[in-house]
Amino acid sequence: MRVNYQTNVTPRMQVVSTDQIEQIVYAAMDVLQNTGTLVYQQEALELLRDAGCVIKDENLVFIPAALVENSLRSAPSRIVIAGRNREKRVALEKNRIFYGTGSDCPFIIDPHTGQRRRYTFEDVYRAAKIADALPNIDFHMSLGLTSDVPIGTYDRHQLYAMMRGTSKPFVITANDREGLSDQYEMACTAIGGVDEWKRLPMFVVYIEPSSPLSNSVEAVEKLLFSAERDIPAIYTPCPISGATAPATMAGVMVQCLAEFFTGLVISQLKKKGAAVIMGGVTSLLDMATTVLSYGAPELSLISAAMTNVAQYLKLPMFSTAGCSDAKMLDQQAAIEAAISIAIAGLSGANLIHDVGYLESGLHGSYDMLVMSNEIIGMVKRILRGVTVDADHLAVEAIERVGPGGHFLTDDHTLQHFRSEFWMPELLDRSNWDVWEANGSKTLRERVHERVLDLIENYQPEPIPAEIDSRLKLIIARADELHEGEEQIALV
Amino acid sequence: MSDTLVQISNAVIEGRVKDAPGLTHNALQAGLTAKDILDKGLMPGMDVVGAEFKKGKKFVPEVLLSARTMQASLDILKPLLAEAGAKMTGKVVVGTVKGDLHDIGKNLVGMMLEGSGFEVVDLGKDVAPEKFVDAVKKEKPNIVAMSALLTTTMRSMGHTVTALKEAGLRDAVKIMIGGAPVTADFAAQIGADAYAPNAPAAAELAKKFVSA
Repeated sequence: MRVNYQTNVTPRMQVVSTDQIEQIVYAAMDVLQNTGTLVYQQEALELLRDAGCVIKDENLVFIPAALVENSLRSAPSRIVIAGRNREKRVALEKNRIFYGTGSDCPFIIDPHTGQRRRYTFEDVYRAAKIADALPNIDFHMSLGLTSDVPIGTYDRHQLYAMMRGTSKPFVITANDREGLSDQYEMACTAIGGVDEWKRLPMFVVYIEPSSPLSNSVEAVEKLLFSAERDIPAIYTPCPISGATAPATMAGVMVQCLAEFFTGLVISQLKKKGAAVIMGGVTSLLDMATTVLSYGAPELSLISAAMTNVAQYLKLPMFSTAGCSDAKMLDQQAAIEAAISIAIAGLSGANLIHDVGYLESGLHGSYDMLVMSNEIIGMVKRILRGVTVDADHLAVEAIERVGPGGHFLTDDHTLQHFRSEFWMPELLDRSNWDVWEANGSKTLRERVHERVLDLIENYQPEPIPAEIDSRLKLIIARADELHEGEEQIALV
Repeated sequence: MSDTLVQISNAVIEGRVKDAPGLTHNALQAGLTAKDILDKGLMPGMDVVGAEFKKGKKFVPEVLLSARTMQASLDILKPLLAEAGAKMTGKVVVGTVKGDLHDIGKNLVGMMLEGSGFEVVDLGKDVAPEKFVDAVKKEKPNIVAMSALLTTTMRSMGHTVTALKEAGLRDAVKIMIGGAPVTADFAAQIGADAYAPNAPAAAELAKKFVSA
C-alpha cells in the first residue's frame, strides 16, 4: 500500500495567498466604511439606510463591514444557467471553467468585403451562429451591438438575434430596467414560463457600476429588478488602473472589490439569497496611447488574483480572456489571446468572457472567436493534467514493445491516444510540402475560411414558429413605446 | 456485393483484427475467390479508411489497426493468390539507410503500404547500399523505398541509387525516398524517382507507380 500519497489531478495556479486575500478584503471593507460609495438610486438608498448605513450628502453611503459579511453569507456559491436548449448548461461552481464571447462591440470588419463598419442585426445573428458551432464556447454574449435598430430597444432586438443564432445560455446587457424586463419576458417565453426560469434561468445580466465607487440609477435599478425576478446578476466594475483606479495591482483589486461589495449588499438587501456573480474587468490605461488595454498582462494577472478572492469568498467569478488590442487577427492578437486564455483557465474563473474582442473591445471579431476556440482547446488539454495510475504509467506496454520496438500498433496506444492527445483543427502540423500543396495558407487564412464556412453552412437549432411570433410581439410592443427616438449613427 | 464481402470491408474499417480470419474462411467456403476477397472486400474497406484519415476522422493508430486486420485476412489469402497466379498490388522493399537507426518513419510507411495491398519486404535499419541491391535481385520488387532522419545519412540514399545503377537494376524499380530532412529537390538530385512527405503520401505514390 501507498501512504501519505497526494495527487494533483490538474495543474494549479495561485496568485495570492489566503492571508493576502484577507488583507485585500479588509482593505475593501475599510474603503466602504470610511471613504464610502455613491449610490444614486432611491430604493437602494432606503434599503441601505434601513440596514444601518450612514448616508451623507444624499448619495454618499458608508457601508459597515458586518453588512458586507452578512451579504456574503446569504449569496449562493453555486449558480446554474441553461440556454433555450435546456441541455446546454453552465454550472458556476468552484473549479469549473466556461469560456464565452464578449458583448456590444460597435465595429466589425465585414467578413466578405474586409471593410470596417458598424455591427448590424445580421452580424449579431452570425456571431451567435458561430459561437453555437464552436465546442469550446459555452456561453454567449452578443459580440456586437445591433446598430440598425431603434436605440431605445436595441437590447431586445439584440437578444432576439442571439436567440436565433444559438441555443446556448447568455450573458446579456440591457439599456435599463425596462429593457431587462422585456428580455426576461422573452426568455421566459422561449423556455416555457416563470417557473422554468426559476428552476434554470436562461441568462445572466451584466451590470456595471462606474469606477471609482459610483453606482448609477440604471445599474442599481437593473440590480434590484434582477434580485426581485431571480435573474442572476454580474456586478462587474471596470476600474482602469492609473485612471479610474490606483496604479497598483493590489489597489485596483481593493477598489474593484469595494465596488462589487456595494452591488452584493444592495442585492441581498432586496432579496436574501439573490444570485450574484463577482466581476471586474480589471485592466489599465495604456500611458502611451490612453487606451484601456484588453491585451495587457496586468489584465490577466489581476483577473486571476480576483478569482482567488472570489474562490475564498465562495462566489462565482466573471473573468476576461481571448481579447486583444490588435486591430486585426495578427500575431499580436494570437499572443494576447493565448496568454489570457491560459491564465484565466488556470485561475479557475467560472465565466471567462470577451473571447473574440479585438481593437481593445471596439471590434467583435469572428476570426478572433474561431482562433480562440482552438486556443481554448489547447489550454483545456493542459488543464486536464497528467493521469498517474497503473494503466497510464504503461509499464506493461513498455515491456510488451521492448527496446527497439514501436508503439504505433500497440493496443495501449489505440486505447489512449484519442483521450490523451489533443487534436488541432486549425493549427497546422503538416510538413512543408503538404502545407505548400494545400495552398501555403497562414493560420489567419485558415481561420477566415472556417468563419466563411460557418456563416454559409452552419444551421442552428431553430426557434419554434409559435414562440418566434410571441418574441416578435414583445419587441414590437417595445418599439412602439420608443417610436420616434433616434437610431445609433450608422456611419 | 455479397454480405460476406460487406462484412469483411466493415471488419477492416472498424479494425476488428480477431474477426478477420473467421470472415475470410466463411467467404472462401461460400465460394468466393481470394482475388474477389482482396479486391471487393479488403481493398474497398481500406479505401474508406484512407478517406476517413484524410478527413481527419481516423488517425494513424486506427489506420494501422485496419491495416493489421487486412493482414490477418491476407495471411490466409496469400498462398491462394499465389496458386491462382493472382497478384497483390505490388511489392516494395523498404529500409532505413546505412548509418541511420531511426526506423519509426520507415515502419509507418511499411505499414501504410501493407494497408494499401502491397507486399512489403522490410530490410530494417542501417541498411547498406549492397543490401538493397541484393534484395532487389532476390525479391524483384516494383519499388524501393528508403528513409533517413539525419542530414548526415541522407547521402547514403544517393550511394544506394548509384549502387543499383552499377548493378544494372536501376530501371527495374521505382525509387522513392522520405524522411524529415529530405526534399523533392534532393530526390531529383540523387536520381530517385520521387519524394513522399509522409506515410500516407508514400502509399499513394506507390499506388501511382504500379498503376502507371
